[in-house]
Amino acid sequence: MSELKAAADIKVGDRLLGWAASEDMRSRGASGGLVTAVLAAALETGLVDRVLILKKVSEFEAYPVFTSDVQEVLESAGSMHSVPVNLARCLKPETCAGKIALPAKPCDARAVVERAKRNALSPEGTYVIGLNCGGTMHPEKVRKMLETVYRLGPEEIAGEEIVKGKLVFFTKDGKEHAVPIDDLEAEELGRRDSCRCCQVKIPTNADLACGNWGVPGDLAGRGTFVEVMTEKGVNLLKNAVNSGFVELMQADERGISAREKVNKVMLGMSEKRKAEVFVPIEDGGERFEYFRKELENCIHCGACKEVCPVCTCGEDSKCTFYSSPADSYKISLFHLVRFLHLSDSCIGCGQCEDVCPAEIPLTRLYQRFAVPVQKEYRYLPGISDRTPPFFALKPEDNEEKEGGGCSCR
Amino acid sequence: MEPEKNEIYEAWEPKIVMFCCNWCSYAGADGAGIGRFQQPASMRIIRVMCSSRVDPVHVFSAFLEGADAVLITGCHLGDCHYINGNEKTLVKFSFMRSMLKELGLEEERLQLNWISASEGEKFAEVVRKVTEQVRQLGPSVLKPEGVA
Repeated sequence: MSELKAAADIKVGDRLLGWAASEDMRSRGASGGLVTAVLAAALETGLVDRVLILKKVSEFEAYPVFTSDVQEVLESAGSMHSVPVNLARCLKPETCAGKIALPAKPCDARAVVERAKRNALSPEGTYVIGLNCGGTMHPEKVRKMLETVYRLGPEEIAGEEIVKGKLVFFTKDGKEHAVPIDDLEAEELGRRDSCRCCQVKIPTNADLACGNWGVPGDLAGRGTFVEVMTEKGVNLLKNAVNSGFVELMQADERGISAREKVNKVMLGMSEKRKAEVFVPIEDGGERFEYFRKELENCIHCGACKEVCPVCTCGEDSKCTFYSSPADSYKISLFHLVRFLHLSDSCIGCGQCEDVCPAEIPLTRLYQRFAVPVQKEYRYLPGISDRTPPFFALKPEDNEEKEGGGCSCR
Repeated sequence: MEPEKNEIYEAWEPKIVMFCCNWCSYAGADGAGIGRFQQPASMRIIRVMCSSRVDPVHVFSAFLEGADAVLITGCHLGDCHYINGNEKTLVKFSFMRSMLKELGLEEERLQLNWISASEGEKFAEVVRKVTEQVRQLGPSVLKPEGVA
């Protein structure tokens, strides 16, 4: 094993392996507790004022809270695949004064970037610790899976983890129950639909990109692979090493290529699923009929807009303010405005679909508008700091279409 | 007696909401009248101070309330009374158009044209052309039933 990395040597672009220095944190967090330790260190040393975490109620329930209590950060540790919350939505001008750090899935990190472009938060004061994500699961579906496939009760569960394409549940009696995710997905269980179509698995737009892909066998489960993406990321890690919370070492070539390979496989699966879901519909009346049918059960509760992480309009938004039931004879103004609004900004995180009480597949609908537009402008939202194409002052501003971070399309 | 559905369709004439910029196409409409250029009575003109004042909400509301098409007109590029308003219109327009196309509306139902204050003849010609295109397409799918 090579020697530990000194804090002064950390720079942007480094690929490292790390773990929490204290035994307690290692046992709490998954994969060596690196992320928990970095967050705790940032809070302890005053690098950030508050940390945004998920406060755990059970394996299936958690809610986002801002905290400056290190103990609470330690308690929040865990992968929580069955709590698909988008933390970025909590970052509003009125709530995120001061410096903040948060752990973020790729979709959270993308939402943070998009919210920063819309002045909902200051990018300098927000430290984003990205986590690799192969997908999350809807809590309701997890319960159904437990009942029908695993034959377990929800109260028996002590934890879960996704290991090598298998979803593993740990029960309180210390046993492991593993089922391949492909088998679950064949029965429309398993990951959420938006996750199965997701096209960013490694959050290279965050300050740090952490995850267990690329961790060598002898460290499996005890170490985290971390790529340093920005200067803010360097600060986070330096701070954590200097305060003795984290130990780091250089990652080897094999680990780096293994990580790339996992990423490639995951993205390939997403492409396949996307081709299955987004079947082209003929131009014209038929396509309109499809949208009308899907939206016919909408009760106009507005929950999809309320939870949308890229929408920063607040209370007085065009979509709700001018929409009237009297004009919503075939389709409502609310949806038309949302379709346009999201055509350049939808990150496909699936929050809208999760909260919809009428079970409308909203993410699919929004993505139908977003994909062609984002392709045309070569703009993938939430990846770079390029101005969204809709905000361009001149058509030419969109013509220099390179550099939107759209290489993965 | 209720008219048959066919009768409504036969009596159907396109209704087009037209947004005219105060500084050019609105005066162009005057010019078309003064010059006695013939044009169909299909337009419902709304005057705006600049074509960039037209918000997507205005366009969608027009469609939802029964317009068969929406025509936005403004000054030629470079002639904007407010420096570059019409360039912003162009960006917005391209977004609205691809969104409506994806929704299943024909491309001709949302149009953008630059007409200056002195182009009365062009104004009448554009009105004739757009009306004819929309007449070929028939009523919009977004039109509420029972609205002529």
